[in-house]
Amino acid sequence: MAGQNSPAHVLVIPCSGIGKVHGLVSREAVYHVTDKLLPGQADTVCLALLVTGEPETREKVQQTPCITLDGCPKLCAYKNVELSGGKIAKGIRVYDTMKRHRGANFGTATALSAEGWGVVEEVAAEVAEISRHEATT
Amino acid sequence: MNEAISKVGIISCSGEEIPEGTVARQAVRRVLEGLRPQQTVTLCLPLFLAGEVGERRFAREHPTITVDGCDKLCAKRGTEQFSGAVSTSLVVTDILGGPARGCHRSTRDADKADEKAVWLVAERIAAEVDALTAAEVPSDVRDVPATSGEVCACGRPSPDGKLEVNGKSVIVNGLPLIFEHLRKNGLQPDTGCAGTLLETVRIYHFIEAAEEAGYRDALEVAYRAFCRRGL
Repeated sequence: MAGQNSPAHVLVIPCSGIGKVHGLVSREAVYHVTDKLLPGQADTVCLALLVTGEPETREKVQQTPCITLDGCPKLCAYKNVELSGGKIAKGIRVYDTMKRHRGANFGTATALSAEGWGVVEEVAAEVAEISRHEATT
Repeated sequence: MNEAISKVGIISCSGEEIPEGTVARQAVRRVLEGLRPQQTVTLCLPLFLAGEVGERRFAREHPTITVDGCDKLCAKRGTEQFSGAVSTSLVVTDILGGPARGCHRSTRDADKADEKAVWLVAERIAAEVDALTAAEVPSDVRDVPATSGEVCACGRPSPDGKLEVNGKSVIVNGLPLIFEHLRKNGLQPDTGCAGTLLETVRIYHFIEAAEEAGYRDALEVAYRAFCRRGL
């Protein structure tokens, strides 16, 4: 989570995909960035808060560069941030990254396999790279 | 069984910011995969906005339970705003009697505290599913036993457990999950375990009074085998 006194440089927002493994990969990639790679610099918000139009969350996404992570072509995270007037620095399609590992077993929507965690780290590294770039521009 | 009315929709908040969101999500998955696979379906909450007419009809076509991580009630409010009235609104912090202490946002960090919270919430959801299906489905249809080969909402085979009860093969939805939960809670596979097994399993699976003895024996044997495999 971002530090108490300094706002995050970037918000990383996953889709909430609950039916397939792709949603869990997106969500865990966000935590890997916010908790491990860029603690204090990157944060997340509940996508559901945006869906319901909570003013504080809308203001956050409008004022902070956002990186969205989507698990399927419905692009729920991207579209909901966009509809809220958010500043999207990059929309990452996690399923494109997963396609590069054709034949791999990523686990389930409940628990990831070792290969699933591998993709989490791959996506998180990409997000961290974009975040660092956003912080310097 | 008429699928249009018998499937209960369960919608979890996304709750990325808080551990209670992950508890809500994991509990919903447990119900979908293990506890009530034949009776439940789900939809991603933000799909109401990003999706099309079909997604927005969801709560109008299914009796719906929303599971929220906190009292902001995003799942309930979002569902009612974009789809239809919900049948039951559950909140993780209400079920747990406060914040999910010791729980984690990432499943990578999950430990016993997360496991316990997920079970409590999943059991409550399952009970609400039962209440809704009992209200919607005639009793002569409701008690039809599950058959082998059924699949859960995600399309994978449901993790059923087979028992031999009084010479009959019986499928109990989520039996391995129930056993795993009891084993983690310290239930020893000795002669005293049958009562606990029976009382826990009957929460999820209808057991006729006349068949109790058969189930006790079968569950004890199956639980011993389960624990031996897990050693």
